[in-house]
Amino acid sequence: MRARRIWISMMVLLLTFAAATLLDAQGPPVSYQRLMKAEEEPGNWLMYSSTYNGWRYSRLDQINTENVHRLRVKWLFQARTLEKFETTPLVVDGIMYLTRPENDIFALDAETGRVLWTYSHRNPARTFNCCGKVNRGLAILGNRLFMNTLDMHVIAVDAKSGRELWKTKMFDHTAAGGYAATGAPLAVKDKVIVGMAGGERGVSGFLDAYDAATGKHVWRFNTIPQPGEPNFGTWAGDSWKTGGASTWNNGSFDPGLNLVYWGTSNPWPDYNGDFRAGDNLYSCSVLALDVDTGKLRWYFQFTPHDLHDWDSTQIPILLDSEFRGHQRKLILWPNRNGFFYVLDRANGEFLLAKEFVKQTWVKGFDDKGRPIEIPGHEPTPEGNDSVWPGVDGAANWMSHSYSPTTRLLYVSAREERRVFTKDAVRHPTTAAEEGAGGFRAFGRFRRPRFAPEESWGKVVAIDPTTGTIRWEHRILTPPWSGVMATAGNLVFGGTLEGNVFALDARTGKRLWRFPGNDRIYASPISFLSNGKQLVSMPVGDVLITFSLEAQ
Amino acid sequence: MTGMGTLLKVSCCLLVLLPTLWPQRPALDARQARVAPAEKNPFDTQQDAEVGNRLFQTHCSYCHGAYGEGGRGRDLTTGQYRFGGSDAELFITIRYGIEGSEMGSVRATNDDIWRVVAFVKRLGRGNVEDTASGNAEAGRVVYETKGGCKACHVIGSDGGNLGPELTHIGRRRGPKFLEESLVKPEADLPVNYRGIRVVTSSGETVAGVRLNEDDISIQLRDTRDNLRSFLKDNLKEIRRDDPSLMPAYGSILTRKELEDLIAYLSSLREPL
Repeated sequence: MRARRIWISMMVLLLTFAAATLLDAQGPPVSYQRLMKAEEEPGNWLMYSSTYNGWRYSRLDQINTENVHRLRVKWLFQARTLEKFETTPLVVDGIMYLTRPENDIFALDAETGRVLWTYSHRNPARTFNCCGKVNRGLAILGNRLFMNTLDMHVIAVDAKSGRELWKTKMFDHTAAGGYAATGAPLAVKDKVIVGMAGGERGVSGFLDAYDAATGKHVWRFNTIPQPGEPNFGTWAGDSWKTGGASTWNNGSFDPGLNLVYWGTSNPWPDYNGDFRAGDNLYSCSVLALDVDTGKLRWYFQFTPHDLHDWDSTQIPILLDSEFRGHQRKLILWPNRNGFFYVLDRANGEFLLAKEFVKQTWVKGFDDKGRPIEIPGHEPTPEGNDSVWPGVDGAANWMSHSYSPTTRLLYVSAREERRVFTKDAVRHPTTAAEEGAGGFRAFGRFRRPRFAPEESWGKVVAIDPTTGTIRWEHRILTPPWSGVMATAGNLVFGGTLEGNVFALDARTGKRLWRFPGNDRIYASPISFLSNGKQLVSMPVGDVLITFSLEAQ
Repeated sequence: MTGMGTLLKVSCCLLVLLPTLWPQRPALDARQARVAPAEKNPFDTQQDAEVGNRLFQTHCSYCHGAYGEGGRGRDLTTGQYRFGGSDAELFITIRYGIEGSEMGSVRATNDDIWRVVAFVKRLGRGNVEDTASGNAEAGRVVYETKGGCKACHVIGSDGGNLGPELTHIGRRRGPKFLEESLVKPEADLPVNYRGIRVVTSSGETVAGVRLNEDDISIQLRDTRDNLRSFLKDNLKEIRRDDPSLMPAYGSILTRKELEDLIAYLSSLREPL
């Protein structure tokens, strides 16, 4: 009896200790101040790209080139869905928050992967996503987590309980050919910035800001100029009404300039531009918007009048660096169109464009950065099979990473070509009148019967001030995984076959790999749990968290 | 720490650590509540299928490939459908998508969905209605003797595994396609039957068909039907320059033998 009492007392003590650890470990709410200085909290992962500059860089170095070969699985989180993860989890003071397709949120104990609470948003049966019912993650501000949904809601839930705090409808998701929201929001100051998708469905793109406390709509920037606005004339006829230019990925933010940077998608119809003569602004562009007002400060269009679905929805990477003898505020952009760009992020000035994959459509650039095109790359009715890069581009939505340790930019790149076919197009407004079925890409691409080995992937390390490729690590298949550089001189990434790998950031040599054996469509993160560095990577519908063996 | 404080923390801890319920996914049974407007496809002419092809390219080819050969989505040329192959079942799959998967609903009119069904059912059935000119019985003899086809292909349970199964090949491939495959086998090679030759670091050469591959390893079925796996670090060379292991039969068989063999393969339509 006495032994039992002692045992119970010990258990109580143990539980007390565990509870105290768990509760006391949780710091103050994630204020805007904390978000601005996220690099000072390398043990946490506070936003999609870890910091406002879009670097996806971890300052942790417990796992490094010397010991990464000892990296082992610590825990799995099994989503139990036929969909795949595209999410980037957040980690805040020992708690991991992540989304599961379609629009569920989980809070996990970051040490064990055990579920603490769940939230589920039920979408209508028919949603209008192009490429899977996916979601790329959350934003956090204060004690609130924010998520976009496939049926065009922005939702705030309480980070402690998963209780819904507000839910705001962004737009009618059934309008035009259908709208959806799949990207992670970006929390800045007292606002949540959210994008939308539907560039393949004749939507009219926008970027929205909502009040983080109430969900009240604050501003909207229309990515296609409305009548009377500058650059309205870059769309022939009524094509502006259905011109696409969605904002489906995440953006970056410069607190000093007070500008949020966000990329835009392709114009619609994708492969037939006959009815949308003109540059089609602001499709395939980067926008610099005042975060308080949503007003456009500057834009830069990478691919005017795009015909290949080459969205410019990559994550903007902000870097202060010397460039050609002058200290400058730069924005780095490895684009889907095959070129690595450097711009001045204060004014959008074009500084550099250099190819980082094989490309067959541009012979040079004018001094404003407009591509001088090689004729013959346009889609044709019989199918044009000579265009590199392919429709999925040289880069896509998966994250790149910049390391201040090596001063290199790491890019997950795709080398491939596809067959681009142009279909006869009906006038878009007629198509619109015919209902949603009329919203088609008016053309297509297909996988030609090329041998599998005719396309491949690679991680490239680019010197951001010259565009010079320092090294390349070739992988078997064009990847959909992003990369993360760390202070341990490692670059983590993944392959379509499911290998999670770590490369030496200085040489590109592979130092470690783990066979996850399912497609990787996400980007890695790193954080601390109980003082030990962990790395998480979603593989298929399983989130795998790794730690050093000796831990 | 006060007693109350301890109690509070213990309670909180227990609450937090309590197993939580997973949000319930909609059951797949929901499919059963969905019905097609007809059991048999009312839009099943060749013309409908051609319209269906155009719709397929728009809505489906991104995942299933322009020829339905698969990729991100399933191979649709095999005649095997996970959620049923009747007209009505295909209609429901295309109309509503597959819950919990990447396959979304196709947003088009019912008539157009039927046209996609017409096209999908014809996929891989390239001109199967065409008649082969040869003698099927004579072709069976060629198959089993001079052709030596049995060594690599299986019909029912009889034959080898190095080439694709031919049990119902007549349902899925027309005479023209079959002739091309016999005369020019590399013209349309299924991805899991690509010939490969690896040389190990000890100098052993192993030939077979590639079953799977990633950056680390490669899996193949060797010519003796053994399933083999090699770490790439242990290989000196991987050769892919001879993508088909099948001989080109144009120079092995006479014209008549070839026609008879095509007739035999075309006749393989019914369950054995």
